[in-house]
Amino acid sequence: MIGGVTSTEGLATLERLVQFAGQRHRLIVNNIANFDTPGYRPTDVSVKDFQKQLGDAIDERRRGGRPAGPLDLKDSFQVEFSTHSLVLHPTPIGENILFHDGNDRDLERTMQDLVENFLTFRLASQLLRNRFDLLNTAIAERV
Amino acid sequence: MYGSLDISTSALVAQRTRLNIVAANVANARNILNAQGEYDPYRRRFAVFGSGDPAGGSALGVHVAEIRLDEGPLRPVLEPGSPYADEDGYVYYPNVDPVIEQMNAMEAARAYEANISALEATKSMFSVALQIIA
Repeated sequence: MIGGVTSTEGLATLERLVQFAGQRHRLIVNNIANFDTPGYRPTDVSVKDFQKQLGDAIDERRRGGRPAGPLDLKDSFQVEFSTHSLVLHPTPIGENILFHDGNDRDLERTMQDLVENFLTFRLASQLLRNRFDLLNTAIAERV
Repeated sequence: MYGSLDISTSALVAQRTRLNIVAANVANARNILNAQGEYDPYRRRFAVFGSGDPAGGSALGVHVAEIRLDEGPLRPVLEPGSPYADEDGYVYYPNVDPVIEQMNAMEAARAYEANISALEATKSMFSVALQIIA
C-alpha cells in the first residue's frame, strides 16, 4: 500500500498527457485563427499515434518488471520526446474539400478537437492533482 | 500554452480589421468624390489574410497581409443632371454591394466568436493547470 503511494506509477504517464494536450492546444488554436486565411492548410498531430506510443512505453515498462518509474518513449515523426518536454511536428490534415480560397477549414471538427483536447487536459490535470493530494495526505499523516 | 493566447489575439485583431473595412465600405457606398473633392468613385476594399504573426515574430497566428482594392466594374446610375455625368448621362457609383458586405460582416463576427471560444478554452486550461499545485 505504501509502496503504491510513493512509487507514483501514473505520474509519468499523466505528465506526458498534460504536455501533449498543452502543445496540441496551440495547434488547434492556430487552426481556428486561420479559418479565413487563403491557402492555409490546417495542421494537427495524430492523437491515436501518441496514445499508441504511450501504451507501448507502459507495456515496455511492465515487461521490464517495473510497475513505476520513467517511461522510455520512442519518437515518432510527429512527436519528439525529451526528458522533460515534448515537441510536436504537425502535418496538414487536409481531409476536407478545398474552399475557393484554397483553405480546407472544417469549423465543426476543429471546435470538437478543441473541446476534446481541453477535456483530456482537464482529466489528466485532475488525476495528477489527486496523485499529489494522496502524497500530501501520506506525508501529513506521518509527520 | 502561453503562445495560444497570442495566436487567438492575433486572429481577433485580424477579424476586427476586416470588420472595420466592411464598415468603411458601407459608409462609402455612395461616395463618388475623393478627399480632395475630385470625381473619383470609392472602390470596395477587402482584407487578405496571411498565416503567421510578424508583429509577434511567430510562425503561428494570423495577420492582415494586405488591403486590396476591388477592381470590379463600378455601378452606373443614370443622372444626366449631375455635374459628374459622362457623355451618356451616367454617373459611376462605388462597386460596394450591401449584401456582400453583410455576409462579410457576419463571417467576421462568427470567426471572432470562434476565436473567443478558443481563448476561453485556453483560460480554462490555465486555471486547471494551476489547480495541480494549489
